[in-house]
Amino acid sequence: MTKQELRPDQTQEVQPPAEQPKEAKKEPTVAEEVKETYRKLEKAKNILHAAGDIEVGQTPHEVLEETRAYRLLHYQQMVAKTAKTPILVVYALINRSYVLDLQSDKSWVRSLLSQGFDVYLIDWKPPTAADKYVSFDDYVNCYIDDCVNTVLKKTKVDKLTLHGYCMGATMSTMYTTLHQEKVRNLAVIAPVVDTEKDTTVIGNLAKNMDVNKMVNIIGNLPAEQLYACYSALKPFKQGVNKYFNLVQNIDNDQFVGNFLRIEKWLYDTPPIAGETFRQWIGDIYQKNLFVKNELKLGSELIDLSRIKVPLLNIVADEDHLVSPQCSAPLNDVVSSTDKRLMRFHTGHVGLIASLYSQNNVLPKVGQWLKARSQ
Amino acid sequence: MAENNKDLLGLTQEQMDKMFSFWTDVMKLPTIGPMYAFSKDVSSYANDFVTLGKVMAELKANMDGYWLLVNTAYTRAIKETMERAPKQLTSRDDFENYRRAAIEAFEDAFTELFASPEFSGVYGRLFSSQLDVSKAVQDIAEKNFKALNLPTRSEVDDILKDVAELKRGVRDLKRSLEIKYDQARAAT
Repeated sequence: MTKQELRPDQTQEVQPPAEQPKEAKKEPTVAEEVKETYRKLEKAKNILHAAGDIEVGQTPHEVLEETRAYRLLHYQQMVAKTAKTPILVVYALINRSYVLDLQSDKSWVRSLLSQGFDVYLIDWKPPTAADKYVSFDDYVNCYIDDCVNTVLKKTKVDKLTLHGYCMGATMSTMYTTLHQEKVRNLAVIAPVVDTEKDTTVIGNLAKNMDVNKMVNIIGNLPAEQLYACYSALKPFKQGVNKYFNLVQNIDNDQFVGNFLRIEKWLYDTPPIAGETFRQWIGDIYQKNLFVKNELKLGSELIDLSRIKVPLLNIVADEDHLVSPQCSAPLNDVVSSTDKRLMRFHTGHVGLIASLYSQNNVLPKVGQWLKARSQ
Repeated sequence: MAENNKDLLGLTQEQMDKMFSFWTDVMKLPTIGPMYAFSKDVSSYANDFVTLGKVMAELKANMDGYWLLVNTAYTRAIKETMERAPKQLTSRDDFENYRRAAIEAFEDAFTELFASPEFSGVYGRLFSSQLDVSKAVQDIAEKNFKALNLPTRSEVDDILKDVAELKRGVRDLKRSLEIKYDQARAAT
């Protein structure tokens, strides 16, 4: 695997330089090594200080609708449309949606466009203190439903493909149980489903969190609390080692560009609305109500067995945020006869924003969607 | 709350409660007669500060439990680094191997810690203690806001809750009207 093919969430190991003939290789002295390291450190410092606005989400799009809670984006067609059914991408409430369009050669959205799909995306806005009582009921039955209606109206079709990532995948699944008449296909990436089977550090920390007290006292989940959770995920291989690798590769512009974009996304963390977080941790992670068909949105029960539409469930074997054991059971609880579980040997972010994903995941996903989008 | 109520700065929960309620009792003043208004406020403020002291003591105890686990993992990581890393650092490769060994050892030790049920419990208690401190400070601030005749956080919170429920009510009404409209249009 070359340096450029590494997943963004994977430790970016530096490839050793090609072996030089022994007589031509001159070992640098200690003083030269120290000087070189100092130069690289200075350059890294200057690059990080001057980084400013990193360009992300560059695929041309229009804002179809904008409210206090979201922006509905419609991406410009890149090739002639080959699929009749539009795709509505539902991003998670954690970090920002531009990870799906991080850079042109690693863009999930761009790949779907290049395969002839009509792509829409819900870009959630950060909740304010006034949104403390916004719940999954609001996200699913109001915001997502409004976006679905807007897309259906614009495209003049009666059904669309709902395509969610992570928490967005869980919300897309909730939506499908309640509004199946508007969904042709459900394609989910790393959904949180059966949390008793989750083996991640996040799942472990969630088990003993007094979420009711947190929401009552603080309100929305602050970004700092999310950083604390992130810092417990591969704390040294990623948290520390990536900075060593940055310094070592500081003269490689492509490496630095990739690093800055991922770093920007990692720390671009809006808060999560209090009531939504209460349900996310309390009902889904601690009580596991979602997979037990006991979760309620408002007065409506989320019964996963109601889902009969074609289902594509995409999971990553090395996902350390949502373990595949947590996502995979979705296929066992729905009533769909046309259902498929795709497993890939990558991580949570590598699944959607890497060259691996462009070469291995997206062609298969596109093929599955296209066969069901006419 | 510290585990088993035994590690609150070396005191049991009961001893801790007695220690803090002693100060609350000392500061009590007659609540009838001309001193009523004064004693009511003094007693209330005194209680708030006693509560703050108590929750901070609990935070300290839970913080100690947290750092104990972190330090144990750190010590283990250092020990394993020493075992895995080159014994002599004479070349660039030695330094590089040392770095790799250290990263591996720390990653193993801390990932195991963070994934353990014990850490989950300790972290949960620490987080809960932090929230208790925030709550105690908020209670004092609320009292001051009330004294200044300003709306308090909990009052604003109640309004936000009402607004959220109203919004849902409007949404449901709008949806049911749309359905009725569609049905009427289909019928004609």
